Amino acid sequence: MNLTRRALLGGAAAIAALAHLTPAALAQGSKVMVLASAVDIPNFDPHVATGYAPAMLFRNVYDPLVRVSGNPPEIQPGLASEWALSDDGLTYTFTLDPDAVFHDGSSVTAEDVVWSIERILRLQRGNAWMIEGIVEPGATRALDERTVEFTLTKPYAPFLQVMIWMFIVNKDAVEPHLADDDGQAWLMSNIAGSGPFTMGRYQTGNLYQLMRAENDWHPGGGNLDGAIWKITRETSTQRLMVARGEAHMAMDLSAEDMKALDGTDGVDLIYETEYRTFSIKMNTQDGPLQDVNLRRAISYAYDYDAMLAAAGPAELMTGPLPTGILGFDPELEVPRRDIEKAREYLAKSEYAEGGFTLTARYASGYENMRRWALILLESLKELNISLDIQPTAWPDIVSSVARPETAPDFHFIFQTANYADPDNIAYAAYHSSRNGTWQNPTYGNPEVDTLIEQARGEIDAEARAEIYGEFQRAVVADAPDLFGVLEKRKLALRDNVRNFVFTPVAANAVELLPLSLD
Amino acid sequence: MLWYVIRRLLLIIPTLLGLSVIVFAIARLLPGDPVGLAAGPNATPEVIASVAAEFGLDKPIPVQYWNYLTGLLQGDWGVSLFSRRPVAADLAEFVPATLELVIAALLIAVIVGIPLGLLAAIWRDGIFDYLTRTVSLGAIAMPRFFLGLLLQLAFAMALNWLPLSGRFPLIEFPPERITGFYTVDAILIGDWHALGVALQHLALPALALSLSPLATILRMMRASTIEVLQQDYILTERALGIPSWIILFKYTLRNAVSATLTVIGLYVSWLLGGTVLVETIFDWPGIGLYSTQAILGQDFMPVIGVTLVIAMIYLVTSVIVDILQAVLNPKVRLQ
Repeated sequence: MNLTRRALLGGAAAIAALAHLTPAALAQGSKVMVLASAVDIPNFDPHVATGYAPAMLFRNVYDPLVRVSGNPPEIQPGLASEWALSDDGLTYTFTLDPDAVFHDGSSVTAEDVVWSIERILRLQRGNAWMIEGIVEPGATRALDERTVEFTLTKPYAPFLQVMIWMFIVNKDAVEPHLADDDGQAWLMSNIAGSGPFTMGRYQTGNLYQLMRAENDWHPGGGNLDGAIWKITRETSTQRLMVARGEAHMAMDLSAEDMKALDGTDGVDLIYETEYRTFSIKMNTQDGPLQDVNLRRAISYAYDYDAMLAAAGPAELMTGPLPTGILGFDPELEVPRRDIEKAREYLAKSEYAEGGFTLTARYASGYENMRRWALILLESLKELNISLDIQPTAWPDIVSSVARPETAPDFHFIFQTANYADPDNIAYAAYHSSRNGTWQNPTYGNPEVDTLIEQARGEIDAEARAEIYGEFQRAVVADAPDLFGVLEKRKLALRDNVRNFVFTPVAANAVELLPLSLD
Repeated sequence: MLWYVIRRLLLIIPTLLGLSVIVFAIARLLPGDPVGLAAGPNATPEVIASVAAEFGLDKPIPVQYWNYLTGLLQGDWGVSLFSRRPVAADLAEFVPATLELVIAALLIAVIVGIPLGLLAAIWRDGIFDYLTRTVSLGAIAMPRFFLGLLLQLAFAMALNWLPLSGRFPLIEFPPERITGFYTVDAILIGDWHALGVALQHLALPALALSLSPLATILRMMRASTIEVLQQDYILTERALGIPSWIILFKYTLRNAVSATLTVIGLYVSWLLGGTVLVETIFDWPGIGLYSTQAILGQDFMPVIGVTLVIAMIYLVTSVIVDILQAVLNPKVRLQ
């Protein structure tokens, strides 16, 4: 092209017009909600990608058979308008909503459900672990066009809770692109769903724009035309965006950001407890901490109040399960700082005199973990024990906890519940079959294993709650962890967003369907 | 001259090859379990093994390297362990963004730094010299992320002149992609609104990034100008009564700039590797953020890809700097 003098002058005029911006108008003129988040969505395959940002995408562009919402979380119809469980707890029958259609207008059929579940089981990626050993390949059958039957290998109480993460894809849309990777390359950047929204433009690492699907079949819902998931790595930038009205919601704010936003016009602050635990796990298979009395001594020596004070908005955990989840026992007796008791237990241990050094490892970059490690160092001094604090890169932590000999004495870990059921935390963090993973490097107790398995198979909620009561007491007696804090989820929301309900699972994977903008 | 350029460009190939061996070896021999991490928290050993096999990580390292190298020649830069996206596609997305930022920052640094350095040398030990000395020391010392935050608070929050972050307004579409540089693409298609908007977004991050090189260039320029001004030939020119502006622009500037040019060339790679903080503060979707995340997750392929791209840009820049040196200074012969 030729650059003419007129064009150049035009360019100069455009540059001169930089003057005054009205950024709030950018996001608020239309019904497009902007969510500022630090987490990217590089892969759109609902059977492969995990993490809260992909989860947000999947919950809005795909449909599972059942959904979860509310606080406490409740199971609600998704693609299935109704479902039934057989008396023996082994057969679930789902009836699909006759209105349900994919984005291309074709009906969602039982065949699509079967195909999606089989694909999940074949790929063994993403959330497949949630139904591993429970739903075998071939155990999902289409009884007719709209009825699907799951035959479980054993009764599994959290089944409906995990089904919220099993997204149904459009079989006919994916099949032409199967190639030799089961359609992974195609689904990585294409959507074949039935959710209320579909993907508009996107730029990896920058933004993802969801648009209301043309043939959105979901009844009710809010007035959103779309939403933009804006990748904003710096939390202070997220804060400023919400303050200016450039974003309607900021997902990853620190306690300091929340304080700074307090009192800002047009911004609502949300502090909610979610099912995300923090505990300091002790190495029960190697080194001095194999001694249960030493572990108990440390459990009583730790300064929990200081931990809470350092945490920002949070509450202390009472035992291994998050507050409020099924079976949680608020009366459970857990160690609190009591130096006399700590010394008593120390005297009973093989290390009565102290005088040795333990190691603590946490994922470098987590400021709160650093503070909690320093509190541990101070607390251990009272027992004449030194602490070697090692901030470590996360991949190195994952590899070091694979064997008890390489695992540190203290392993700092956050654990998010993927589904609203105590089984999630109990199985991942306390069942011996999970040893060697970062969620449970070393702890195992056959009695605790049995309780976890019993609770999994029990369908009656009251009976389950009782089993989890026993489970909590057994774990506390073993003192494998310093039960830490439940940090509150901190969100900032513009006050023109309506119908937002916090859900303690998938707290950041916001469901857009019910939301409206004034 | 032409042969020199061709030879230098050809030398880039063995340099990159050597670098790829080193980076590949470091990436593979580091401790840690990136495959276990990529397979997910609940992956069984079988799943982890299948992920390793899928990415060819179960093969001996020399075989992995050979596969990588042969892929590279066909334009396949490998696949990210975590996102499973092709690295080449990611680089095509992120490299132009970072380059645009770095070039803008360097332009500011050069356009402002060279004249200021020249003036500081002319008015040596005057108020202006002291002022630039103090300010440039401060500019070199001030962390870029802090400066970025200050700029945001001043120009975006308080004055509301410029956007807070990002590369383009959220609800607008960037200009059609030709080069990936929004400003260049906007000019090429004649979209002046897009150019204005892209420049608005570029202004603050480029300013934050430019201050430290600006100060260095200013100091270098001042020092080399003072040195040139003390040369005998300048004294001779003065004695001959040649007007001082001719002495300055015809005989001093050229010689003084050629020394500064090397520093500017070095800054290209320094800025390319050091944009991460500015990119984070301003949400600039560039390779700084991309590579940092890859490094933290030990995601080999993006790390190797970014390293090779930065090395390539650095090597090409040094060839360009050498050529410019020869153009500016007739004493330099390229052979």
